[in-house]
Parts: sequence; C-alpha cells; structure tokens
Amino acid sequence: MTEGSANKPFTGDACHRSSNGKNATKNGFVKSHCLLEQPQKYRRTKEKNPNVTHNSNLYKRPFVESFEETPLLVAVLTYMGYGILTIFGYLRDFLRHWNIEKCHVARDREQQKDFVPLYQDFENFYTRNLYMRIRDNWNRPVCGVPGAKMDLAERVSYDYNWTFKHTGKVVKDVINMGSYNYLGFAENVGACADAAVDVTKKYGSGVGSTRCEIGNLDIHEELEQLIARFLGVESSMAFGMGFATNSMNIPALTGKGCLILSDELNHASLVLGARLSGSTIRVFKHNNMQSLEKLLRDAIVHGQPRTHRPWKKILIVVEGIYSMEGSIVRLPEVIALKKRYKAYLYLDEAHSIGALGPHGGGVVDYFGLDPNDVDIMMGTFTKSFGAAGGYIGGKKELIDYLRSHSHSALYATSMSPPVAQQIITSMKIIMGEDGSTLGADRLRQLSQNTTYFRKKLWDMGFIIYGNDDSPVVPLMLYMPAKIGAFGREMLKRNIGTVVVGFPATPIIESRARFCVSAAHTREMLDIVSLCGTHTSQNTHFIHS
Amino acid sequence: MSDTLTWFAQLPRSQSIFTPPFGPFFVLLLLQKTLVSDWLTGNKVGGNNNGITWCLCALRVGRTPRSRTKVTMNVGTAHSEVNPNTRVMNSRGMWLSYILGIGLLHIILLSIPFASVPVVWTLTNLIHNLCMYLLLHMVKGTPFETPDQGKARLLTHWEQMDYGVQFTASRKFLTITPIVMYILTSFYTKYDRIHFVVNTVSLLTVLIPKLPQLHGVRIFGINKY
Repeated sequence: MTEGSANKPFTGDACHRSSNGKNATKNGFVKSHCLLEQPQKYRRTKEKNPNVTHNSNLYKRPFVESFEETPLLVAVLTYMGYGILTIFGYLRDFLRHWNIEKCHVARDREQQKDFVPLYQDFENFYTRNLYMRIRDNWNRPVCGVPGAKMDLAERVSYDYNWTFKHTGKVVKDVINMGSYNYLGFAENVGACADAAVDVTKKYGSGVGSTRCEIGNLDIHEELEQLIARFLGVESSMAFGMGFATNSMNIPALTGKGCLILSDELNHASLVLGARLSGSTIRVFKHNNMQSLEKLLRDAIVHGQPRTHRPWKKILIVVEGIYSMEGSIVRLPEVIALKKRYKAYLYLDEAHSIGALGPHGGGVVDYFGLDPNDVDIMMGTFTKSFGAAGGYIGGKKELIDYLRSHSHSALYATSMSPPVAQQIITSMKIIMGEDGSTLGADRLRQLSQNTTYFRKKLWDMGFIIYGNDDSPVVPLMLYMPAKIGAFGREMLKRNIGTVVVGFPATPIIESRARFCVSAAHTREMLDIVSLCGTHTSQNTHFIHS
Repeated sequence: MSDTLTWFAQLPRSQSIFTPPFGPFFVLLLLQKTLVSDWLTGNKVGGNNNGITWCLCALRVGRTPRSRTKVTMNVGTAHSEVNPNTRVMNSRGMWLSYILGIGLLHIILLSIPFASVPVVWTLTNLIHNLCMYLLLHMVKGTPFETPDQGKARLLTHWEQMDYGVQFTASRKFLTITPIVMYILTSFYTKYDRIHFVVNTVSLLTVLIPKLPQLHGVRIFGINKY
C-alpha cells in the first residue's frame, strides 16, 4: 500500500523490503534486547498517535509533537494539481519549441546545434514551468534591517516573472515572519550595534588572514571563552561561516572506516560534511529512535560492509530543531542510546541555541541534560545572535585538535571583528552579564510568543507541524497553487513569509514557514493569524 | 559465426538475460542480430567483430549496478533524499489517484456518443497502456535537478523507482493494474479476435519493460541517451 501511518513499518525501515517469504513465528523469535521500548507488531488499530513518547521516564517535561498526516482527498487533489501543471508545462514547452511563445530559457547556439547538448532541458522542466510562475515569492530584496518589521523593494514583472523591474517604491513595515530572528537581535540600534561600531573603529572590518596564520585576534579568544562558558563545555572554537563549520569540520572528525548515522532531514551542510569525510553514511528515519537503535545494533553486530571489521567510530549526527519540520530532537533518548552503544554524538544547534531552554542554552538546556554528554556541540550565530558564523564546543583535547586540523581554521578567513563583537554583546545580554534583564525578558517573550502563536493558529484550524515549543512553525499548504497564492496574499497584507514546495519538501507536503521572534509583539502575531484566516477563506485552506 | 560462439562461451553465466525462460529467446535474437548486422554493414558473415560489438552495445548486456550510494551534496532540499522521484509512487494517495485517473479516462471515453462499449474499453486499455509506457518507460531522468550528479539521468521512471529495488509494493501494483485492465477489457469486448490482438500487443508493450531482466536494457539502442 502507499504510505499511511498505519502502514509504515514499525521497525523504522525507510522502505518496505520484501523478505525471503518466511514468516517469523513465535517459536523462532529471538528476544529483543533493545534499549528503547519497541512497539509491538499488529498494534495498528490501537496506535493512534505514533509520535507519543514511549520512554517518558527520560523526559522531564511533556514532549508533544504533531505531524498530522495529509488527508487522502487533499493528496489526490495535490496530485491532480501537479498533473495539470505538468500537462500545461508540456504544452508550453511545445509552444516554445515551435517559437509560438517567446523562449526565455538558455538554449544552445545555432552553430552548436549538432553538438552534444549543453543544457539538459528535461531537468529544467520543473524550474521553467512551475518555479518561474511563482518566483516572485522568493529572493525579495529587503532594504534595511530585517527585524520584526522590514522594508521591501517593490518589484513588478511584465513577462510572468522571467525578469523583474524595480518600481522604485519601497513597501514599508512588512511584518517579517521569515527571518530567523528568534531573540530579536537583528537591529541597528542598541548595545550590540554600538559595540560593533566601536570595534570596527578599533579593528577595522576585515581580518585578512586565517586563524592559523595572522588572523587570530584577541577578540576571537575572548569570544571562544565566552562561548565555552555559555554552553557549559570545556572549550570552543568559532568559525566565520555556519555552513562551513559543518562541512569543514566533520571531515576532520571522521574518515574512512567510520560510520555516520544521520537523520533523514539533516541540513545540506551536515550531508556535505559527511560526504566529504569519506565515511559510510546511514540514514535513520526522522526523529525515530527505534530506527536509530536498529541501525546502531546492525552496525555494531555486522561491522564494516565487506570486511566485517569493527567500525573505527560511530558518529550520530542530529540537529536541535529541524527548520523545515519544526521538530525538536529527542535528545534524552539519543543520549541514552549513545551511552549504551558507545557512539559519539554531534549535535547541530543551528536553530535551537538561544531559542530553547530557560537560559537560552539550546536543546540541552531545554531537556535539562548535562552538556558533557554531547561530544560535539555545534551551532551557528546567524539565528539567535543576529551575527554570522558558527562554533563547535566540546572537550579541550577535541577543540585543540580541531584548531590545527580543521579545514576552516587552516584555509578560511577568520570571523570579522564587528561580527565577533556582536556575538559577544548579544551572548552577554542573553546570559544576563550585561547587568540588565533584557536577555531574560527576550527569552521569556520568545517562548510566550511561540506558545501563543501556535495555539492561535491551531485554534483557527490550520495544520501545523512540529513540537509545541519550537519557534519554527510550518503551516501546511499541500497544493502547488496555494504556495504562490499564500505568499502573494500575505504580501498584499504586508506580511512576509517563506513558502516551500516540492522538491525541497515531499510532494504532498508543501508548507509556509513562520519563524516566531521575541521582537514580535502580540499585536503583530494577531495581525498575522488574522491575515492567515482571510487568506484561507480566499483560497480554501485545509483545516484539520 | 565462430566469433559469435566464442564470445557467447566466454560470457559469465550470471548474465541475467540468459536465465530461462528468456535465455534461448535472447540467444536466438543475438545470433539473428549478428547476422543481420553483418549483412547491414556489408561484411562477410562472421567477418569482423563489428556486428558482435554492435549487438553488445545494442543489448547492453550486463546488469546496471543496482547499489546506490546515499552520500551526496544536497542543495536546495530539506531532506537527504537524493532523488524524490524514487518515492513518488509510494506517497500517500498516489495509487488511489491513479485508479481514479483511469476511471476518469474511462468515463470520458464512455461519453462519446458513437462509441460502443467494447470499443470504449479497448480504447481505455490502449490509451492507458500508451500513457504508462510513455511516462514510465520512455521519459528519462528527473524534471528537477537532483544532487546525485546525474546518476538517474539515463534511467526511466520505472528504473528509478525505489532506487532499482525490484518487487516493491508500488512495482507490483503497477504491474498488476494493466493486467486487471486487460482482463476486464477482454470480458467487455466479448473476446472478439481483433480486439484481442490489439489489447494483447498493447499489454505486452507495457509488461515486458517491467521485467527485472530488462532493468537498464535498451533494445537496439533506442532511448539510450
């Protein structure tokens, strides 16, 4: 059957593999010594919510996540929508081929028509026939600070989004629901901005070298000590770019003969880093601890693929908050598994650092766990700190090793001084070391905003994914045309959102993603949810 | 001729196309092709090896590697699924949409005033099989760029499904549906001879490419690139 929650294999297999036809009888059953409670087979009728935590003794607070499944009617209509778009796409291609319609896509030159074609025109099908039609929802130019409200440069297109012209007008005070501005540090006034300006006057804005050569400033050392104190780890290291932190450091940590167990929905930087390292990669189903345990057990029992030698190390790579789903990792269970099977844990807190936890300490703080349990804590400064760059925190030996072996440290320019100062100032505010309660206020405001916004949208009947405490709120749209409609209607009402569709998400799970910020006031959130209701009445949304 | 036989003898026995019951058929086909190609190139029979190499290329003897590597750089996707096309047929509601689509086609054809019921059923069967052949076995690659650096560019959608794993649920469903359509059509056309011939040929065009032995095979080099 097609995938429905009742039909997904409980063992966490990615797809149903046909066995050799033998049925497991009770007599032949090997008793399972799995750590985590395995759901029993044939319990489908009773199991209504597969996301209920089975091991609640590990969790100090309720862990409520919901990923409501696509209703069947909606799925059928979505496929119909894509089918109609495909037929029209072929029609348009036909018209373009016979020059009835003007072709804006790059084509081979006349002189090279007999050569091997340079452009794969089928791979471009989706882009030119579907993406181009709703392209005005992305890449909108922001003029000014993308804080709680932002200004957008108005664009018009006279050839259906193939080219844009700026009218010269600026759309002012658009409520910004797309920036990862969780604690509202994206501002150009205030203590952070003043400190950054002072530092620019002292150090300049460029560094001009890598960390290993002459680019190691004292402000970097101060920043790293501060990060280590903030996270509760022994030592840390900061890099200039968040993506490069992942992709350049995972190759330094693992190599051939190692195993990386990475979540299905891990970010591109983690996947790239894992690929560059040369280790074997196995993917477990998203946030599914049974799947992870099964993979761990299989890996340890069978060893490396052909030689069956033991793995040199096993690294579990998870994220704190998954930005496309809004789900939070089940960290207590992951740590329990890691301890039992003696694997290492790499936690990417790009979205969760500063946004979760009573002190802003991220997902470790949120669950009340010991930071020493996580071997490698990685995060970025882009989201909650209003800066740029990434860090890795852990034991002193590990960070000292990374200082000399990381590709980033050796080849990439170090962080720019005003950016580093912005991080220092904002981190001190969050920790409360600047003397004011601004940090605590903002953390509280963020969690209140998150709860309020989620509840408001839920009460209005929208389908929201993710954990109840996560500031990333994906609102399901499902159908391809609603993606464009939603983005444009919200912009008409002066709200900027990010909408995502296939192939970035599964084909029947297109969504709009709201990022709640501490800088949003309750009135702004009310306006957003009201506009959401109006839009839904216009475009007949899916309600649960 | 002797070249053909030595070449045949040297082939490893694990080649899938030589397993029964298709083995003898393909051997005969090969021999035929050798002779024909020699005739086409105007050489003496069994003269030089062009014919044999041409056959080899044409039939792509040998298995397409089925193992896939999941290590890739994912640009623009929020998941590590390398080729979303592999999962499309498994998604929720897809089978139902497919059946409803066939139903819709049938109803549209039934509403043509001058078409009798057997003709309508045969037309439904033909159009369904034609569309299935075009979409599953003719069109290659993906309509979007995938991070797998073009591994799926030369594969049809049938070959991409589930990364080449055979006998999955979707593959079985898509094999059984044309057969069920054929049985229904045979019934409604009252087993008329002409309708039978037409429907059977159409069914064969849609069933033969689904055989696991024909995974990655391009006969006569048709649709290779």
